[in-house]
Amino acid sequence: MVIRRIHTKINRIDDAELIMLKKRVDMATLVIITFIALLIARLWFLQIHKGEEYEQQSLDNRVREQQIAAPRGNLYDRHDRLMVANRPCFNVVWMRDDAPHPEEVLRRLAKILDVDINILLDRIRTGSELAHYVPIRLQEDIDWKTLVYIENHRFSLPGVRIEVRPTRNYLYGDLSSHMIGYLGEISKRELQEREDGLYYQGGDQIGKTGIEKRYEEELRGEKGRSLVEVDVHNFEQQRLEIQEPLPGNDLQLTIDVDLQQVAENSLLDQAGAVVAMEVETGRLLVLASSPSLPLSEWLGGISTDAWQKLLTNPFKPLINKPIQGAYAPGSTYKIITAMAALSEGVVTPETVFYCSGSMNFGNRNYGCWKRRGHGAITLRRALAESCDVYFYLAGQKVGVDGLARYAESFGLGALTGIELEQERSGLVPTSEWKKRKHQEAWQEGETLSVAIGQGFNTTTPLQICRMTAATANGGLLFRPQIIQEIRDPDGKVLRAFQPIAEGRILGGKRALQLITDGLVAAVNDKNGTGEQAKLDGVTVAGKTGTAQVVHLSHHRHLPEEEIPYKFRDHAWFTCFAPAEKPEIAVTVLVEHGRHGGSTAAPIARAILERYFRGPVGEETGGGPRTHYSSGSDL
Amino acid sequence: MWRFDRRLLLNFDWVMLLTVLLIAVMGLLNLYSASHAARAYGTPVYLKQLYFFIIGFGLIFAIISVDYRLLLNWNYFFYVTVIVLLLVALFLGKSIAGTQRWIDLGFFRLQPSELAKLVLVISLASYYDRKDTGKGFTLKELMVPAALMGVPFLLILKQPDLGTALMLSFVFISMTLFVKLRLSTLAVLGGGCAAIIPLGWLFFLKPYQRRRIETFLNPEGDPHNSGYHIIQSKIAVGSGQNFGKGYLQGTQGQLDFLPERHTDFAFSIWAEEWGFVGSLVFLVCYFFLILWGLNIVTTSRDKFGVIMAFGIVSLIFWQAFINLAMVLGLLPVVGMPLPLFSYGGSSLMTTMIGIGILMSIRMRRYKAPV
Repeated sequence: MVIRRIHTKINRIDDAELIMLKKRVDMATLVIITFIALLIARLWFLQIHKGEEYEQQSLDNRVREQQIAAPRGNLYDRHDRLMVANRPCFNVVWMRDDAPHPEEVLRRLAKILDVDINILLDRIRTGSELAHYVPIRLQEDIDWKTLVYIENHRFSLPGVRIEVRPTRNYLYGDLSSHMIGYLGEISKRELQEREDGLYYQGGDQIGKTGIEKRYEEELRGEKGRSLVEVDVHNFEQQRLEIQEPLPGNDLQLTIDVDLQQVAENSLLDQAGAVVAMEVETGRLLVLASSPSLPLSEWLGGISTDAWQKLLTNPFKPLINKPIQGAYAPGSTYKIITAMAALSEGVVTPETVFYCSGSMNFGNRNYGCWKRRGHGAITLRRALAESCDVYFYLAGQKVGVDGLARYAESFGLGALTGIELEQERSGLVPTSEWKKRKHQEAWQEGETLSVAIGQGFNTTTPLQICRMTAATANGGLLFRPQIIQEIRDPDGKVLRAFQPIAEGRILGGKRALQLITDGLVAAVNDKNGTGEQAKLDGVTVAGKTGTAQVVHLSHHRHLPEEEIPYKFRDHAWFTCFAPAEKPEIAVTVLVEHGRHGGSTAAPIARAILERYFRGPVGEETGGGPRTHYSSGSDL
Repeated sequence: MWRFDRRLLLNFDWVMLLTVLLIAVMGLLNLYSASHAARAYGTPVYLKQLYFFIIGFGLIFAIISVDYRLLLNWNYFFYVTVIVLLLVALFLGKSIAGTQRWIDLGFFRLQPSELAKLVLVISLASYYDRKDTGKGFTLKELMVPAALMGVPFLLILKQPDLGTALMLSFVFISMTLFVKLRLSTLAVLGGGCAAIIPLGWLFFLKPYQRRRIETFLNPEGDPHNSGYHIIQSKIAVGSGQNFGKGYLQGTQGQLDFLPERHTDFAFSIWAEEWGFVGSLVFLVCYFFLILWGLNIVTTSRDKFGVIMAFGIVSLIFWQAFINLAMVLGLLPVVGMPLPLFSYGGSSLMTTMIGIGILMSIRMRRYKAPV
């Protein structure tokens, strides 16, 4: 009880101490007010002074912008037949934020998609640099069965979602695949280096080759975007705003799907190229490269296997042969030699050379393809029967640099300016070129090889086609065009492409007429080399060619069938028709096809037949389809 | 003691009661906003807090009907009880998020460290009441009150709960300064503290505590982990701007960007939804309560009442200040509720008891000592 008494004793406060304590309470009040002022100042700073900044940050927190891919513009052929359009594509994507048990879900997903789980894990690893809310694509373009299965099991597959975006629909399969080009996911380099890189984000599809690449800006359209409010777990709360995407502009190509199909079907199983050009405009009706590319395999990202196959295929499908393949022009070059010889006055139509089957020059023997010889021969027959000795002699008289001037005036050795990437210019050799390149003087014997289109000469099929068109149209060199019109999605024409004449050949109309006579004879005369291109009712003028792959071959002594594929000669045929009023020039190259007359000429004939006669049994069949062969409809 | 005194009723502190009620209403409204969207199991937190408030007001009325001077008899009992509870929490208690703070009573999870704050105030007040403070305390004389503070301080630090432990030392320092120290003592202690802080940094702080302070100094250096709280809280407060986003319209809170928003970061929600103007109204109410408490200190007639009232006011003030400074990004993140405003039964009960004691002191300001 003692303790209790002491503790309950109340200490009354004396006045002196009270005053002292009150003074300290005043001090405490001052401290507290100072601290309150500090808090209010801070509030003012955050809410008033920096308020807008934080408002923006809170917006960034909760509002996600999702891009909506725009459908790419359609591609039409010259008769407005739809070639390339769009279709919906269903992709399986992975949302990292929604996936509480990634391993188990991914294991099940791998089974559903029938892929190795490591492929999925790789994709996620590659995508992990993206912002955490950006979906990572696991598998593209799944089929309906898989789609339905995943949709039905969505609740047991947290983290897995289905994304729909437009993708390419190739209505004619792989037709014109090189010209159209394939799409692919934009690469890091493209993202950084493109001037309009900001338009894109990782995962976007972009044209990688061909027209898809060249006209990417026209075709891609304008992305839409949707603003979605999300919570901290990135669960969508509500859609705030949506901007629908705008489809890209449509392109009307100059290509004629019918002719293109004939060309590609004829080339089937052979490596080669076909080019058909309107002689009066430079517009291409056919631009075919064989083998074609499996365009749709790129849509989901091409598999390593498929890519390897393309790389190792001996037919080299990745090369767009009409513009990227450079071949010796072979005897098609005799058009140039003939033009040079006529124009330089070293021969006249009446000039007679004697072909014994070969000629000696220096210490070498230069053979004619016809070992028995052509006997006494003039220009017309030399062209028709492709006599080598005639052109050795004619070319020798003109000289290599003279030949080069004419070749260049026909557009050889230079880019044609077609709007496709990686076109090759080929080579027109000159004595100066050889000195520069090989530090050697030009040997006159080499002129002989050049005169018949062998030796250092290289040309692309497109160049030969343009050369043929210039021969046909009186000497004008047009830029090859593949696009006719660009139209907005409503069909309004935004840009119509006009023919562009880029130059005129050296040599006059008279010479051209003489050469044309020779070319007509080549197809129509009894001994003509291009006999297989002959068409009833339409006069075809053409020239065969054989491009030697190896100069002094070890295999020449072998029977043709036993020469290994890669050492066999390339077969050329180039022609135009009708000879009286030319409309179309067709050039065919069959790699290692050996003889232009037997391999290449029938393909050219098939195209001409289709062009002039139309499809067999179809209503539009019949008379010449001249209505679109002139540029006057523009 | 139980005699009815008419003066008690006349002196009833309506101002304090109404202010507390006003803050309680604001707090409950805010808790509703902070938690109504969450699909948690059981009773929603705003309802639980409402029940705690009802119990709390009951406690106030129970406390004011008893003379606070009775606490002088009971303070050792309270002190020993709290130490035992802290030991129980430490060794037998429920572990949440790596800390041993709670004793699970089934219907209620008691956090004895909250009670320890108030018990320390009572114990120190009764100690200083008995000591003559005319000349100020010497270092030696401070040994006993320091030990009174030190035991619960270490037990709470061990949980670990740095915020509450620091709060004990803040209250101890405030009360000790209030009863006067010798200048020499002050100088020695000041020098000692300056020496201890770096040592404490190296030896006493847990890595996560050190990280919190580091990220406070540079929150953008670690935006996804420790800095996240500070950044999100600043965004919430700042984006409130002048008039706020509107009640229940705060995106930072409603969309879950702000963690701990019904406990320590409750004021962020308020500031986001009511803006600068609403925050000012709240701060005025809140600090009116504290200044009114200081006023009670000066009206008390006995030394125990004066010191205890000052201790309670300093307890509420320091918690409020540290909490608000933390929410506004002025101080590092320490676990520190805003009294009466943050969700938490133990904290609310403790604060309501403290308010009850303050009201009791005020009601008995004219009463002659026994």
